[in-house]
Amino acid sequence: MKLTLKVWRQQNSQDKGGFETYQVSDVSTDMSFLEVFDVLNERLINEGKDPIAFDHDCREGICGACSMYINGRAHGPWHETTTCQLHMRAYNDGDTIVVEPWRAKAFPVIKDLAVDRSAFDRIIQAGGFISVNTGNAVDANAIPIDKVDADAAFAAAACIGCGACVAACKNSSAMLFTSAKVSQLALLPQGRPEHQQRAEDMVAQMDKEGFGSCTNTGACEAECPKGISISNIARLNREFIGAGFSSKA
Amino acid sequence: MKWSQFFNTSIGKKLLVGATGLFLCSFVIVHLAGNLALLKEDGGEAFNTYAAFMGHNGLIQFIAWGLKIVILIHAVIAIQLTFRNRTARPVKYAVRPGNKTSSWFSRQMAIMGSVLFIFLVVHLAQFWWVMHYGEIGKVSYGAVTEVGNLYEVVWFAFKEPWIVILYVLGMVALAFHLIHGFKSACQTFGLNHPKYNGLISFIGVGFFGIIIPLGFAVIPVVIFFKQIS
Repeated sequence: MKLTLKVWRQQNSQDKGGFETYQVSDVSTDMSFLEVFDVLNERLINEGKDPIAFDHDCREGICGACSMYINGRAHGPWHETTTCQLHMRAYNDGDTIVVEPWRAKAFPVIKDLAVDRSAFDRIIQAGGFISVNTGNAVDANAIPIDKVDADAAFAAAACIGCGACVAACKNSSAMLFTSAKVSQLALLPQGRPEHQQRAEDMVAQMDKEGFGSCTNTGACEAECPKGISISNIARLNREFIGAGFSSKA
Repeated sequence: MKWSQFFNTSIGKKLLVGATGLFLCSFVIVHLAGNLALLKEDGGEAFNTYAAFMGHNGLIQFIAWGLKIVILIHAVIAIQLTFRNRTARPVKYAVRPGNKTSSWFSRQMAIMGSVLFIFLVVHLAQFWWVMHYGEIGKVSYGAVTEVGNLYEVVWFAFKEPWIVILYVLGMVALAFHLIHGFKSACQTFGLNHPKYNGLISFIGVGFFGIIIPLGFAVIPVVIFFKQIS
């Protein structure tokens, strides 16, 4: 099929940037969305032009590197799918597809579709860890953990930190990301000792990075490629309220 | 974290908006319960007696001033958060998802809140101001003597079709604001559990989003039609 791609081009973080239109023909329905960009970039290189910069790594939906805002949707139209796992059978011959980078003050554009997501790293550094060395892997069931809690912690830990929640949120809020990271530790015994300090520190860092606040629209949950639930945001709120009343620091 | 820091975080501020919002939810229930007396065709005895009680009871007066402060806190912090949220995305998207990823109501809280604020100013100027500082006819009912005849003022106001329309539109804004507002406040307080999420939705949408605004909107409409017939 033949597609028209309107792609955001921006030389660097200072450049104003703008859309460029590209015609791509011979697109197979079996191609992934990123492969279309590979084909287009090869052509641009052959023509002596600057290829489109975009983030990608594993290309199997688990690394969280790819980050395209496609026709108004983070990671495109498919539910619980990363851009690399979006296949061209989602589109019809002759379609025009608008591709933009994640838009947020806390995610400045590096070039074209690649944005700087190190704000997420700094939120993790603020408290998304366990301070003590947990040592070697212990015997299974040495520490009893409720199956329901283990499953909920695992579901929260499925977050790949891609930033689709921020991109999809009308306020560019990082609450879904932060809540997933707080939850995966707060639900398990190893994470309990520091749970209040963690919630306070991570929320403080989240605010400092310039993300917006949550208005509970649920757009993050709808767009999350890993199906992280906003019940995690409620948990973060509970953790934070609890910390407000009884944190030690 | 000190309380001063706590209430300066995004979540801390949201908790203040949520708490004041829930207080205002409780207020609309009481307000509607009292207003229903307007529909009683007793020459205003029930309503005026009620209005006089509300206007003179010390505790009620204390809560009434608290209510105005609560509305201001709710509005001021919500405006602060809205500005913060707007600046969090300096470059807007060219294509937006519309209603595909979130409900329309949930995205219009600031707009509907502003409409409600304007409505409130008009509403207070029209009735509250007249009752307290304006010229108002006095009536007496048995033991209750010389009370302001607010009933008459209200019935007179709702003779005007455009005022009736204004009030109905105000209640549409209230419905849209509360359909998301009640649920959102519960989520901010961390109340999210499969056991009672259904109940929260029912109270938020069914009760605060439909029954309460409908109850308010019915009053001017009924009074209008009773007077033209």
